[in-house]
Amino acid sequence: MVSLLQALLSGLALGGIYGLIALGFNITHNTTKTLNFGQGEFLVVGAFVAVSAVLLFAGKGITGTLQPEDVTIARYFGSMIVTIIVLGMLGVALYFTAVRPFFGHAGLAWVMSTIGFGIIIQNTALAIWGPAPLAMPSPVGNDVIRIAGAGVLPQEISVLLASIVVMIALDLTLRKTKIGKAVRAVAHSSSAAALMGINVPAIVILAFVVSSSLAGLGGLLIAPITTASVFMGLTLALKAFSAAIVGGLNNPRGCMLGGFLLGIIEALVGLWHAELREISIFVLIILVLVLKPEGLLGQRYVEKV
Amino acid sequence: MLHQTRSCKAFALTSAFLLFAAAPAVAQDIKIGYNGDQSASGAAELGVAGRWGFEAAIEDLNKAGGILGRKVVGLIRDDTGQPPKSIQNMTELIDNEKVVAVIGPTNSGNALAWLHIPQQKKIPVVVPVATGTEITTRYAKEPQNYLFRISMVDREQVGLVVAYAVKASKGKKIAIIGDSTGYGQGGIKDATEILALHNVQPVATEKFGAKDTDMTSQLAKIRDAGADTVIIWAVADGTAQVLRSMEKTNYLPLTLGTWGNLSSLLPKIAGPKMAEHIIFAASTTEDSNARTKALAARVRQNFPTLTTFACSAQAYDSVMLLAAAIKQAGTTDGEKVQAALENISGVQGMIKLYNKPFSKTSHEGLGVGDFYLARWKGAQVLRYEDAVTKALTPADLKR
Repeated sequence: MVSLLQALLSGLALGGIYGLIALGFNITHNTTKTLNFGQGEFLVVGAFVAVSAVLLFAGKGITGTLQPEDVTIARYFGSMIVTIIVLGMLGVALYFTAVRPFFGHAGLAWVMSTIGFGIIIQNTALAIWGPAPLAMPSPVGNDVIRIAGAGVLPQEISVLLASIVVMIALDLTLRKTKIGKAVRAVAHSSSAAALMGINVPAIVILAFVVSSSLAGLGGLLIAPITTASVFMGLTLALKAFSAAIVGGLNNPRGCMLGGFLLGIIEALVGLWHAELREISIFVLIILVLVLKPEGLLGQRYVEKV
Repeated sequence: MLHQTRSCKAFALTSAFLLFAAAPAVAQDIKIGYNGDQSASGAAELGVAGRWGFEAAIEDLNKAGGILGRKVVGLIRDDTGQPPKSIQNMTELIDNEKVVAVIGPTNSGNALAWLHIPQQKKIPVVVPVATGTEITTRYAKEPQNYLFRISMVDREQVGLVVAYAVKASKGKKIAIIGDSTGYGQGGIKDATEILALHNVQPVATEKFGAKDTDMTSQLAKIRDAGADTVIIWAVADGTAQVLRSMEKTNYLPLTLGTWGNLSSLLPKIAGPKMAEHIIFAASTTEDSNARTKALAARVRQNFPTLTTFACSAQAYDSVMLLAAAIKQAGTTDGEKVQAALENISGVQGMIKLYNKPFSKTSHEGLGVGDFYLARWKGAQVLRYEDAVTKALTPADLKR
């Protein structure tokens, strides 16, 4: 029983990260029908920028070593703001260099260009921060918390809480605010939205800013658990993309659900047979694609000719 | 027809000239490649330490006049822990750069991916870090085996770790957990076989993905199987995550691991308390003698955060043994250097004085007798001794 709860807790924490990155896929897909396939590399840069920001706040060089006492909650929040700003700017750069030139054209040039952009920033990160993984002590300490016998790291709870807060905030913004409604209008039909006086290019840029910031936030949150490493992005992004497919790429709530679902399935299957984890996830994806191609919560759009 | 002959002649002349012009440049330097992960996996710190040990050895060789009067040049390649990249580096070093030998790699999985290349091209390889048992044995039955090693071969490490586990475990309830790479799986296989030599069956065998961050489900199964001793076969980051998961599930059996835990990632990820929980095998420490102290100081100039000194020493010794073999062979021809490596003697290295380290049947320069157990204490790794280690006899070190 305890091990079941343990698996559930562990799965939720990882699922939160998957969900955040999946949301990033969703928001650009809805507004531009394109995805940033370099999302994993954005997460890597987010993690490194976060570590460096904390180092700078602590008065050290950007590639120094963090001691647990260097990472205070205030510095961590400060680094969160820095990370979101830097990644948001990277999102703008991505849009203008790798998406806009191909926007509206037939073909899949943007797939290659976003992958390429990701590889460029990954190697830039390698040049700046060097090869070794950077450890980031958790701002909330390293002592295991016990919940009904199951142990969980404080950072894992932070990840879970933070991702839920961000997801709810994003959901409310999309549904209740004027700008959120504008995003949804562009998602529905950009030409109709333009006719209604919505500044479509600005909304599209905003979508890339939000998407990249979410990846950065994911990096910041996961760095204390995995360390910041240049090569950690691909697996996470692939899982997040799977989460988006399972939950429904065009539905933000579906992406969140998909993230948590994948995290929990991974942990529970691991309890039974660790080597079946990846297999079970990709079998699930194939099943979803066959039975409900739009994803669990996705809507099927009927193209009228 | 006449025209054709003339152009043929011209071509022959030009190529002869080109060959003649190129020959002295090739004869000048002896190129030795270094191919290993210096950036990506948990073994990267071992690879960086090895790289600077390699460069220090080449510096020393050149100060002493090079090999056979020729300058030695080291070519460094990073394989980022990826087998395809590692294979690509090997072909590039051998075919394009024409190296006479290669020192590397750091990850056993990568070595197993390209063993056939140097073996077919007759280029001697001395492995300074990767510890997978099969690396030197796969071609042992061929007329000439080009794979040599100066490192803590898994089978020998397992010999020490299992001997300790069997003596220390009260109920002889030992479990093994390893990562799903070639390294982890090879370790699981070796440990299971050596446990069998002690007439012990592991009570559980589990594995995890190399980049996983949560092994609580695997540990739950190990605990349910009643294990009081756990052997973790993985590099430092994976091991650190297992230790963290042990802390989460509040399950703290006697824990043993690999020398990869020398990496500073272990205390960084697992935290100082859990880092001190694991006991692992090691080959040498920097305070062994004046030579090792001096080498550690030189490596630190380029790599200030060095904790994996053993790799620097092993890479240094690998180059020195190779140099001795080339000198003895009097040529850089792969076949002759390979034969000389099996016959060199009296080579002073960092770890020990190598007297006939390699033979036709054994290509392992270091063995279980050269190893000891170690453990983290604060920011450094210290030798570990207790009643059990003192009671270990050579007969216990089965392999």
